[in-house]
Amino acid sequence: MSLSKFSDKLFSRAALRGIFAICVFMVLWEVGARSEQWFGYRFPFVGLVPPPTDVLVSWSGLIGDAGYWHSWYKSFLRVFGGFTAAMLIGIPLGLIMAVNKSCYGIIFPTFEVLRPIPPLAWVPASIIFWPTQELSIAFVTFLGAFYTIVINVLGGAKSINKQFIQAALSMGASQWDIFRRIVLPATLPSIVVGSAVGMGITWEVVVAAEMISGGGASGGAGGGLGFFIWSSYVGGSYEQIIVGMFSIGIAGYISSELIRQLGGKFTPWLKTR
Amino acid sequence: MPDPANKSEILSALKSAMPFQMVPDNLMQEIAAICTQESYEAGEKIYDLGALADDVFIVSSGSVQHILSADTDASKHEKIMRSGDVFGWAAVLEGQSVRLAATTSIEPTQVLRINGKKLVELFESDPAVGDVVMTRFATMINKEFYVPRSIADQVPGFKQALKASNLQGSEVTTMALTVYRIATWLKSPRPYLMLIGFAVFLGFWMLSVEIWKLPRFVSMPGPTEVFTEWFSEDPYYGLSFYTPEYYKHIGISLRRIGFAFLLATALGVPLGLFLGWSQKFREYIFPLFEVFRPIPILAWVPLAIIMFVGSETPVIFLTFLASFFATTLNTMLGVESIDESYSRAAKCLGASRWQTFIHVVIPGSMPYIFTGLQISIGVAWFSLVAGEMVSGQFGLGYIINTAYMMIEYPKIIIGMITLGVIGYVTSAMVRMMGDYLMQWRVRELALGDN
Amino acid sequence: MSAVIDENLGSLADVSDGAISIKDVVKVYDPDGAAVMAVDHCSIEIPAGEICMIVGPSGCGKTTLLNAIAGFHGITSGSIHLDGELLCGPEQPQAEPGSDRIVVFQNGALFPWKTNLENVAFGPMMAGKQSKAEIYEKARSMMADAGLSGNENNYPGEISSGLRRRVEIVRALMNDPKVLLFDEPYRALDSLTKSVMHEALLEIYYRNKVTIFFITHDLEEAIFLGHRLIIMSSRPCKPKKIVEVDIPHPRDYSVLTSPRFREILNEAKDVVHDEAMKAFEAGEKEG
Repeated sequence: MSLSKFSDKLFSRAALRGIFAICVFMVLWEVGARSEQWFGYRFPFVGLVPPPTDVLVSWSGLIGDAGYWHSWYKSFLRVFGGFTAAMLIGIPLGLIMAVNKSCYGIIFPTFEVLRPIPPLAWVPASIIFWPTQELSIAFVTFLGAFYTIVINVLGGAKSINKQFIQAALSMGASQWDIFRRIVLPATLPSIVVGSAVGMGITWEVVVAAEMISGGGASGGAGGGLGFFIWSSYVGGSYEQIIVGMFSIGIAGYISSELIRQLGGKFTPWLKTR
Repeated sequence: MPDPANKSEILSALKSAMPFQMVPDNLMQEIAAICTQESYEAGEKIYDLGALADDVFIVSSGSVQHILSADTDASKHEKIMRSGDVFGWAAVLEGQSVRLAATTSIEPTQVLRINGKKLVELFESDPAVGDVVMTRFATMINKEFYVPRSIADQVPGFKQALKASNLQGSEVTTMALTVYRIATWLKSPRPYLMLIGFAVFLGFWMLSVEIWKLPRFVSMPGPTEVFTEWFSEDPYYGLSFYTPEYYKHIGISLRRIGFAFLLATALGVPLGLFLGWSQKFREYIFPLFEVFRPIPILAWVPLAIIMFVGSETPVIFLTFLASFFATTLNTMLGVESIDESYSRAAKCLGASRWQTFIHVVIPGSMPYIFTGLQISIGVAWFSLVAGEMVSGQFGLGYIINTAYMMIEYPKIIIGMITLGVIGYVTSAMVRMMGDYLMQWRVRELALGDN
Repeated sequence: MSAVIDENLGSLADVSDGAISIKDVVKVYDPDGAAVMAVDHCSIEIPAGEICMIVGPSGCGKTTLLNAIAGFHGITSGSIHLDGELLCGPEQPQAEPGSDRIVVFQNGALFPWKTNLENVAFGPMMAGKQSKAEIYEKARSMMADAGLSGNENNYPGEISSGLRRRVEIVRALMNDPKVLLFDEPYRALDSLTKSVMHEALLEIYYRNKVTIFFITHDLEEAIFLGHRLIIMSSRPCKPKKIVEVDIPHPRDYSVLTSPRFREILNEAKDVVHDEAMKAFEAGEKEG
């Protein structure tokens, strides 16, 4: 996007309205958080929260802190590790189930029975099973994204217009050809959507796992933004909690955008029309 | 029995006749099976006044002259029948055994012939559909042949059959459909493949833990251990189908989910509807919403603990938050997905903006809202478990966590499975609620010729 | 089908409302800065009660005209009047949608969540000027006239698309519109159902004379139904040729094989074909 177009968009009426609402919100937050200080009366809920100005001060301090960025790095690593594993196993599994009715019949019911169990419920079992804490976090992260990706691949494959396949068959395509040239590309948009959604879930799980497994202790595991938030809470620096929250939000947004951009590169035909 | 090449001709001739236009496919096939095709030359007599009235006719192509007897009380006695028109309907009238008209083909004509008795029998086997078709027969006879209602009223009805089976219109559809679906499912290979899958999974679990005792699996509880514990009257770790604690924890988790989910729906659906409907509102509020949405729910835990008193409220707050974001977003997307033609049509017909909102936007987004609600309840369980594991007391997440810490491993698995089952059931309940509220969609998917 | 023969069924003498006057209308779209002229100085006068068929290749801007009359889009310049009153013009580029001009949509816009009867009663119910009982009684009788009895309590999704179209037309007529705007409503139907639909439409027209502005690309449909054909050029849209259809009413499908029909078809065919070729070569996408 050219600079002039960007500034057009930034100052468009829609953007200004959005910014306006956010500013109003910030002001209310500030007033509410400082209520005890300013009015002698503490507003419920908001009154206990650190005010945005303090949060911003804390954040500017953290930007120079190596430990803060190290947390980012660790979390990103876990997210992409688990996510890649989920794609590597989930996409082929989804495609096999989409193409072969018997495989679907055998695997899908078991898959569906296990799916409602929240990934976090697997944490203890995972810790018991895997030798290192890192691996157990990775497994739970993997589970989170895995279900979403498989469901989206299946959905995408199911909605392929049968006539594409019939057209290919009438032109003499083999089963492998059909798979490679029709099923695979036609399912790509759903894979991209599934991945973007799966990415969000992956972040949820990583943060949860980092907070629950406490972090810090055994062999290199621990750290990450989830742990950062938890230790900020335990250590009493409440402004950092909020810094951590928004940091993760931004990190999650960046990851999803990355996936969408990457996905866009693989599906150029969606840009037409 | 007509051969396959003619079957499609027969079916399309049937479908062009007004009374048969609403018949579902399976019944249509059966009707087609009792049809025969016949050809007549120009000027050939098809039947005479007073002849035996056994068959109903549908004109496939050509034209037929239909002359009602002068005795019949009709406002018009002569009529020309063309493709898609139905005649010879005396064959379906109750207590009418002879022809009321004489028919002759005007030009070379092809007709479909259906035995009246067999047709009525077919409809008796499916009274809901039969009733509709027969009503249409009556309407057609009344309108097209200009005879008084007294004759049209002799068309047999199936309301008696419907009442006898104690089912009303829509119930016939949903229940009969469910029974039909279950029967079909049982006849397919699907349930058996499913059992194979389960067997493989359970088998692997059992083999790896109990029989082969693979190294990694040593500390894991095996299926025998888990299931004996779960079903025992005096469980070793204190939790099974027979202990009241089990139900207490389930109840507490359910109560939290119920409260959080309902609150999230009550707030999220209206918010989503307005975000979707009003561009102005969306421009103000959506960016603010999007600032908070990417923040993982668990990242709110410390803040929730700070803001709210006690250990119960933070857990419910977290669950609510997760549900709220999912519901609002999906509702908004739902409104945006409604076809523009509907609101345009409403405008043309004179509806105000508010009326369009009530009559078009809300019903139109219902399917999307319910999909969103199913996602929302899944997300709610996710957050609830996390919240319970971290800061709650009681509840299924709490059980799993403490069982882990107290090294009561079979309880972990029991907790997990229970979560899975209850999660599935609550999701299914949401879906059924949706089906109930959107009868039009159920029937559209079942019967329509989209 | 009505067996009453009335030579004057096609006459417009007793219709007073619904004259449309399109004067020098221009519509320019501006997506991303590239000005595209969809309608180019188009002027058409449609007398009250006429069935005016707008014929042209896909994507030539016919729908733009319809949308302008209905009030869904605005125009860049020119003016449109209905019975002398301004719909849209220089000061007011976009008309207000209203129940004097009702659209029958290409893919149908019956509300799937309401029964057919509720759909038909929708307009008067929203207006709130009559009692529910009155409205529903009128709805039932209008549905019966159109051959729809028995379908009142079904949902649109349960009946065939041909029947759906009829319900939509009845829904429109319940509001006593001056004009009915049809946007290729029978495009998706098979030709058997189409011919039934045509006869049904004419029958409804004979009972309720309204101005009909009907967009189609099907020449035979146009000649069968219309008083006049206005053949449009490919984008930008401009009337290229006007063909009078003087076949007497009431018309039934035997008209399709009559010599006069064939004559008119020949007259119109070449022009339409020309424009279709131009649109094809220009790579126009369908509207």
